[in-house]
Amino acid sequence: MADTVLECRNLWKIYGKITAVKDVSLEVKEGDIKLVFGPSGSGKSTLARCLAMLTTPTKGEVILTGENLTRSGVDLNKARARIGFVFQHIWLFHHLTALGNVELGLRQVLKLPKEEARERALQALREVKMEGWAEHYPAQMSGGQQQRVGIARALAMNPEIIILDEPTSSLDPELTGEVVDTLRDLAQKGTTMLVISHEMTFAREVADEMIFIDEGAIIERGPPELFFTNPTSERARRFMARLIKRTRRE
Amino acid sequence: MDLSEKLILILSGLPTTLAISILSFLLGFIIGLPLAFVRTYTSKPFQILVDGYEKVLRSVPEIVTMLFLYFGVGGIPAFRFPFKNSFFVATFALGLRSGANQSQVFRSAIRGIGEEQMVAARSLGLSRLQAVFHVMIPQTFIIATPGLGSEYALLVKDSSYSFILGVIDMMRRADTVRKTSLDTVFPYIATALLYILLTFPLATYLDSWGSRKKKELGL
Amino acid sequence: MTFFGVILGLGLGTLLAIGDLYGGRVLSIIIKFYVEFFRGSPLIIQLFIFYYSIPNLLGILIDNHTVGLIVFTLNSAAYQKGYIKGAMESVFEDQMTAALSLGLSKAQSIRHVVLPQAMRVVIPAWSNEFASMAKSTAALLVIAVPELTSNLKAIASWTWRVLETYSFGALIYLIWISVVMKILDIIYNKVKIPEIEITA
Repeated sequence: MADTVLECRNLWKIYGKITAVKDVSLEVKEGDIKLVFGPSGSGKSTLARCLAMLTTPTKGEVILTGENLTRSGVDLNKARARIGFVFQHIWLFHHLTALGNVELGLRQVLKLPKEEARERALQALREVKMEGWAEHYPAQMSGGQQQRVGIARALAMNPEIIILDEPTSSLDPELTGEVVDTLRDLAQKGTTMLVISHEMTFAREVADEMIFIDEGAIIERGPPELFFTNPTSERARRFMARLIKRTRRE
Repeated sequence: MDLSEKLILILSGLPTTLAISILSFLLGFIIGLPLAFVRTYTSKPFQILVDGYEKVLRSVPEIVTMLFLYFGVGGIPAFRFPFKNSFFVATFALGLRSGANQSQVFRSAIRGIGEEQMVAARSLGLSRLQAVFHVMIPQTFIIATPGLGSEYALLVKDSSYSFILGVIDMMRRADTVRKTSLDTVFPYIATALLYILLTFPLATYLDSWGSRKKKELGL
Repeated sequence: MTFFGVILGLGLGTLLAIGDLYGGRVLSIIIKFYVEFFRGSPLIIQLFIFYYSIPNLLGILIDNHTVGLIVFTLNSAAYQKGYIKGAMESVFEDQMTAALSLGLSKAQSIRHVVLPQAMRVVIPAWSNEFASMAKSTAALLVIAVPELTSNLKAIASWTWRVLETYSFGALIYLIWISVVMKILDIIYNKVKIPEIEITA
């Protein structure tokens, strides 16, 4: 049985009066691909950020390969370096080239020597088929290309898990394809991933488990077949119907 | 005294004018950049301190600061050195003022970059300080360039306030030429044009460089 | 001095902005020179030029108060022209077109549509301009116009209480500039058009 890479137990995130994440527990094992989905504003992004410790959860535990990150005194910078994160709105560093973006963490966090960092960064860019754009700045690329560099930036750190927060939702429809292809490649290589996405074809092909979230809480979870054939909850059923209709139209 | 002699005499004050403006710019930079980050990323008491510093140095006339430092602080025996040196006091006073201005220039640049870049850097495992150095500062510079250019131009002009302490810069030289030659027109007009020459091209260049770079990088 | 300088400067600055935007090439170039001269050269030199050079050239006498007022007005106008022009062109080009489409003349459009909006938008920049002017009055020292700083200097040399005198003076500048800026801020919040905010 594979080891657990990242898990959270009874996780809550409360902003003033708004409860963004409500008592969520989940577990990602090595090689797992979990797909989280749900209506906008349902707390998916907040959950993703809590799991990566980019925001501190209000209550509950986040555990990375046995290490409890929510306990005080943990070096969160080290922990974040072991969790890759890909942002919805991409957020590449504007002042650095594609290569520079990927190298930054390798040089500053992992303290790799210049040559080795460069080698590894180019390798990561190759994996997302962006090696030809190494010397270009983000502003010179399309959104899809930028997001692939964003994925390479996370990948290069050799993280134990990559969390992707709606990696295609800020892109024009014609650009999502290339990013989904990249994700598919990653899946085939056995990368451990937690993906927040509404790309249902992708989900059906690669996800081990789909998790439906609404109003901050997990409503239903199970293998893709469950959701595509017969979800038990009314909310999930309605949401799936809408998604599938939209996918057909596209 | 013919025109070229007058001009040469005025130009002999140029090194001092440049020295005051460049040194005070550097001092302002050393003060302003950290203040901007302190103001943005630390807690309330520090923010209030920075605000207070900015408010005072931006409201009190440079001339008053100079007189205060030179006659006031310099009047205390223990501080005769270096505050009885008029060149030092002029540079120091302008540097303090420039620190307040540059802090504001950098702060609005940081605000322009936004929190996203910080979060992205932290997601890679960079510490806050590393993120500031490797991600925020380089971009801050690019956005702040036009503002820094005009601040430099302002310092070149304001270096003439050292006149009241008797520093022998271009302004003082122009006045000397007027007194000795009794020509009331040429020295001032020529010196005014020289100041414009020192400020306008550089500030314009930095302004256009900054805007171009910003556009290129999509900042 | 500060008040008159800023207000006269506002009037002149507005005219310059209109002249630059709608006046034609030649006028535009002349205005550019004017602005560069007053923005690019030190205030002290400007004071000296109007104190020594101009009277000499024209063979007239100008008393030092008038010199101060002239220089502050001209100097302030050069800066304010920039703010007002920025405010006028950044948002209001389409407003101008809209006004013209109603059949208003160019002058009427400027008067009734563009200016009223530009004036409100420009208040924050104006408040900065006021602060820098109030500060600059200290330079009047060099042409012996009595004002706060020259008085401070006199008091300091009589009483020998140099530190206290200048600290007190600094405090007065600080308070008076803060108060006026606060007032302008309140006015701005009163008259500003909701949801429109521009940094000119």
